[in-house]
Amino acid sequence: MPKVRRSAWFLALASLCWLVLLLSTLSRGQPIAGLPANWPRWVLLLAQGGFAASVFMYARLQPEPLAGQNFIGLLRRLFLRGLGLTLGLGALVGIEQLTSHHTLALPGNTTTAVVYTVALALFMVFLAQTLYTWRSLVNFRGGAKLRREWVVFEVLLGLTLLLQLFSWHIPDGVRLGSGIVLGLFGIYLSGHQRWIAYLSLGEKWQAILLQLGVLGLTVFFLLYLRGAQTDPVLLVPATQSSFLVFNSFFATFYALAGLMITLFNLPVAKVFEERRAEIMSLQQLSQIIQRGQSTPEIYQILFNSAIQTSKADAGALLPPRGVVGSALPAPLLHHLAPADLDAITAVLVPTPGTNHLPEIVENDLHRSQRIKDLPGVYGSVAVLPLHNTAHDYGTLVLLSHEPFTFDSEVLSILHAFTAQTVLSFENLQLAQEALNNQRTQDELRIAALVQERLIPRQLPTDDWFEVATYAQAAKEVGGDFYDFLHLPGQKLAVLIGDVSGKGVTAAFHTAQMKGIFHALMQANPLAKKERDRYPDPHRFMVQANEALTHCLERSSFITAAFYLIDYQAGGFSFARAGHCHTLYYHSIQEEVSYFRTEGLGLGIIRNAGYEKHVKTQFWDYNPGDVMVIYTDGIVEARDGDGNEYGEERLRQMLETCFYQTAAEINEELRHDVQEFSRGQPLHDDQTLLVIKFKAAQPHA
Amino acid sequence: MGPTMKVTTHPTADTLTLVLDGELDASSAVVLDAELNKPEIVNYKKVLIDCQRLSYISSAGLGVFISHLQRLQDSDVKLVFFNMQEKVFNVFEILGLDSLMNIVPTQEEAQAA
Repeated sequence: MPKVRRSAWFLALASLCWLVLLLSTLSRGQPIAGLPANWPRWVLLLAQGGFAASVFMYARLQPEPLAGQNFIGLLRRLFLRGLGLTLGLGALVGIEQLTSHHTLALPGNTTTAVVYTVALALFMVFLAQTLYTWRSLVNFRGGAKLRREWVVFEVLLGLTLLLQLFSWHIPDGVRLGSGIVLGLFGIYLSGHQRWIAYLSLGEKWQAILLQLGVLGLTVFFLLYLRGAQTDPVLLVPATQSSFLVFNSFFATFYALAGLMITLFNLPVAKVFEERRAEIMSLQQLSQIIQRGQSTPEIYQILFNSAIQTSKADAGALLPPRGVVGSALPAPLLHHLAPADLDAITAVLVPTPGTNHLPEIVENDLHRSQRIKDLPGVYGSVAVLPLHNTAHDYGTLVLLSHEPFTFDSEVLSILHAFTAQTVLSFENLQLAQEALNNQRTQDELRIAALVQERLIPRQLPTDDWFEVATYAQAAKEVGGDFYDFLHLPGQKLAVLIGDVSGKGVTAAFHTAQMKGIFHALMQANPLAKKERDRYPDPHRFMVQANEALTHCLERSSFITAAFYLIDYQAGGFSFARAGHCHTLYYHSIQEEVSYFRTEGLGLGIIRNAGYEKHVKTQFWDYNPGDVMVIYTDGIVEARDGDGNEYGEERLRQMLETCFYQTAAEINEELRHDVQEFSRGQPLHDDQTLLVIKFKAAQPHA
Repeated sequence: MGPTMKVTTHPTADTLTLVLDGELDASSAVVLDAELNKPEIVNYKKVLIDCQRLSYISSAGLGVFISHLQRLQDSDVKLVFFNMQEKVFNVFEILGLDSLMNIVPTQEEAQAA
């Protein structure tokens, strides 16, 4: 650490110089310790200059004394050190006084010379301390230019030391001129008192007292030295007065300037402090947004800041009205009785034509016509709603014992707070929405993918029936599904269904349903009778219900319809589990109607009791019959007025197109539903299957 | 978008009546579920659902009743619906819930049930 070592050298040099100075002073008029009397003048001057320079260099190399913004600590340290030095001087002077009238008196001027030399040293140390304390204050928030100027000032001070040392002859005019320049430089530097702005009111008072103390100490030293120099006993030559004078001048002037500025600052200090607190609170609020803190924290900070800055005696922060699950479940209260709060909330009525509360400011509450039921201790009240055009975020209520507390200035600050708070909420909400959107989009993509894979790629074909399908997923993927299975012996199994819920969960249950369908429709090799090889629709539903019991959450259920069509028997059996009724065209009766059967959805009763709630129905079909199987997205499609498409319109549509091919019928029905709900968003998945039985055409 | 349905509760000594007003869809189902989830609900003998102003029920809405049905039955609390619009009743009927839940025409019958 070269710096420490350098300062140690200066300390040693200072001690040496001081010793020479002492001896040289003592040698005036008397020989000491075997050395000749009256040492040459240059020795004394050199020792004195060397001492001053090394003390100042030592102080200059000390680490920066200002820690952060602890100005008072800095001043107090300077004052205490100065006080210590002054007490030391006082003690010496006391000893001198005592010994001068005493038999113990040392020969000649010894005592006075020692005291004077020590005092000079103490004063130098004090000045050096002061100068470098002022350096910290001058350079506080000063910038590089000011720091360079300070170095120039130091160099100039150093030059005054050298000038004195070599006793060059300098014309008086130049001397005076340069003196004035240096003085003005010191005054210019004394103008740099930025640190005062950072003091609180209490600190300003402390600063004033400490600076007065420092001034007093300087004056004490100067008075002593002035007296000592004219002391006939001492016979010292003129000290390097210009260095000391300029230093003392700067030390005094800087303290004086700081004192004055602090004094003039006092009356506005309070206002300044309040502004500072307001800025800090606003800053705090903004920082919270950046850190993405939670809504309750924003509420708490707004409330605290508003009460502090407005100097309200009581207050409340009310939750937004009519919002379930708000981040502020109960009002925040500050010295406010619930009954008094009720007196205020009773008059809070939304502005006509909007859903928002108006701002209410009553600065003369005793004469207010609007708010009457508040106790007399309150003089003014301000009610500030927190909202933007879309959302209500709550209401801030502030009460003061004094009338006219909420003047335009206080209100403008409070408005800044509320605006900032609303902004915070908006930002939080946007961030949350962005997150949710991303999540939802990911979910939708997965769900759409799953659903796409689950839809049969190839439709069954045979010469005894036609199948045509239409499926449209709503934006938020629902859980429609259907599947076909061609069974041996000219049988066709058809399953259609709708899983409640949306997104990934629904897609997952759809996949499960498909798995259940394929698992249950495996031929049972142990079956004795041909018709027992595959489960009948009733058994299918009961088994599916049981399988779902363990994997479906309690509020989810599945509607399904299952058909087992047997070409050879010329009929089909089916069961309906809460699914939409099947629409059917009977070619013999030439009639379109619904199979109105009973049957409970899957997953609603999760025990053996379900058996009783589902039935197998049988039907013999004829060539030309048409079966229309669909999900509720079809019949619940809405038009612009909110009317549903409905079973009846679907039935009537089939009456007009039953004679066409399955594909054409499917197209007609789909087209009509789309026409009906033209311009409306798709609320739910739509699935439409049309099966048309054809005249028997035996296999070749 | 505000909530699509309003739920008002009218508790008496042994009966809790919930008045539903609006469309019971996925968003409003959350509100109703919270109401039915309250622990004190098993202290009533009957929970009556006034459906006069219930204009629509989605599968999520049905899911709420289905998920609480068993719990209420286990605690001997009767769940009775009344004043149901035909359109809404059709939804209950198609799903087969009419055979499982107590749906009566009027409030008097609901209280007598």
